[in-house]
Amino acid sequence: MLRMNNLKFSYSTEQVLKGVNLKLKKGIGCLLGPNGAGKSTLLKCITGILKPQAGEIELDAKDILSLHFRERARWVSYAPQEFSVNFPYTVFEVVLMGRNPHAGIISGPKEEDKRKTTEALQALGISHLKGVPFTSLSGGQRRLVLIARALAQDGALLVFDEPTSFLDFKNQITVLSVIGEISERTGKIVLLSLHDPNLALLFCDEVFLMKEGKILKCGKSDEVINEENMHTLYMLKVNVINVKSGKMVVPTGNFIRNSPFRS
Amino acid sequence: MASLAGAALSLAGLAFQNLFRNYLAGPNILGVTSGSAFGAVLAILLFSFNPYTVQTLSFLFGLIAVFFAYRLGKLVGNGIVGLLLAGIAVSAFFSALVGMAKYLADPYDKLPAIVFWLLGSFAGIRWANLKFFSIPMFIGILGLTAMRWAFNVLSLGDEEAKALGMHVGLYRGFIIGLAALAISAATAVSGMISWVGLVSPHIARLLVGYDNRRLVPASAFVGATLLLICDDVARTLTPSELPLGVITSIIGAPILVAVLARRKITDA
Repeated sequence: MLRMNNLKFSYSTEQVLKGVNLKLKKGIGCLLGPNGAGKSTLLKCITGILKPQAGEIELDAKDILSLHFRERARWVSYAPQEFSVNFPYTVFEVVLMGRNPHAGIISGPKEEDKRKTTEALQALGISHLKGVPFTSLSGGQRRLVLIARALAQDGALLVFDEPTSFLDFKNQITVLSVIGEISERTGKIVLLSLHDPNLALLFCDEVFLMKEGKILKCGKSDEVINEENMHTLYMLKVNVINVKSGKMVVPTGNFIRNSPFRS
Repeated sequence: MASLAGAALSLAGLAFQNLFRNYLAGPNILGVTSGSAFGAVLAILLFSFNPYTVQTLSFLFGLIAVFFAYRLGKLVGNGIVGLLLAGIAVSAFFSALVGMAKYLADPYDKLPAIVFWLLGSFAGIRWANLKFFSIPMFIGILGLTAMRWAFNVLSLGDEEAKALGMHVGLYRGFIIGLAALAISAATAVSGMISWVGLVSPHIARLLVGYDNRRLVPASAFVGATLLLICDDVARTLTPSELPLGVITSIIGAPILVAVLARRKITDA
């Protein structure tokens, strides 16, 4: 179980997280909210990239914030939103780096680490790419490689910052299906952020609505994602309609003609 | 001796290329070489030409330059950009001091000594110094070799490396310290030949790829071989010895272009 208590974080003057409380027992939890709500900042606090000024984060009753980088990285795996590699490492080398918290500091990765890397590549069905330079992959393939790396890192919690950004329609579905499959098979907790409430309805168990550094609402995705909440969150009028696969969020009215981006 | 300095410079260059995530980083990026040069020039200017004082001051000023760059970098910002900018500033500062020293130097006596030293040579080496300066070079080479896996992870960038369990600040400081030892010692005994440190890792990449676990030993080997060849050429091409720094650049520049053209760098 992942639990956050009154988490606060500020960049020099601006307070971005204003006391975040969050509880996720199992399955896939999703942060939903407008740009600048603090989603990425929150995820970076969990992975140790940023240090929150106050609050607690517990994972399976373990105080994550008190752990050192290496120890924490064994508990929490992470795949970033943007990933620029300046050197064309092969896919296998990139995924192997996920084993860093388990590998020797001087001796580097061991046989065990290489085995886990191979397994992670197999789990995502990208074994055939292992010798290919990461830099020559397409956006969708890169994303799968980063998920494989998080899987190889083998934390009890997997954190994905906008795993669907820059992906085409089909690849968004592919990536989220893969994440769903991993979560089901391994029982690991997944916390991710998304921009499309429809994807959250399709793939996520719990949803956390986040705005201005706070969690406004949380609960089962099909309960929390309703017309009223979407309006509070995005200041946008929507209809939530029933379709064969469940529910769907559709913006309403003359939103195109009345768009603030049109003069 | 040439091969030891070559390996030291090459590994330091590779270390900086990984830390700064940039192919163009070389040993002088934090101002080490400029600092060393100023130390040497200062010694020539103030004392009569004596290899011991020249090399000792050169070594010390190289370390001082890096120390300044490192501290100033923290003032500018926490990331590598701050470090890089501070390095450029420190390097420019010491280069200016070298220029000033040349301007003030006695043109018949001291200036030729300064110019010859700056061009690089192993001619000034004496056995006693060699023993002394090989120690920091060995420490640098061994230490950087031990960090070869860490190079891979650090080259992904600060945030990535932290999320993968790396104490970035600690490792970066440690690696910069090791590289500074290696470069200062190598520059102290051989003058300004830092070009080797930029070229050798590129040649090594062509041979073994990008994974630092193989690239580190390969770079050390290439650096050692390259500088040894350059030193031999410098000593034998003409009856009087040519300056080593000139030879390394004349040989190194076309090699670099050839290697890069062969590999066709594609921007990530």
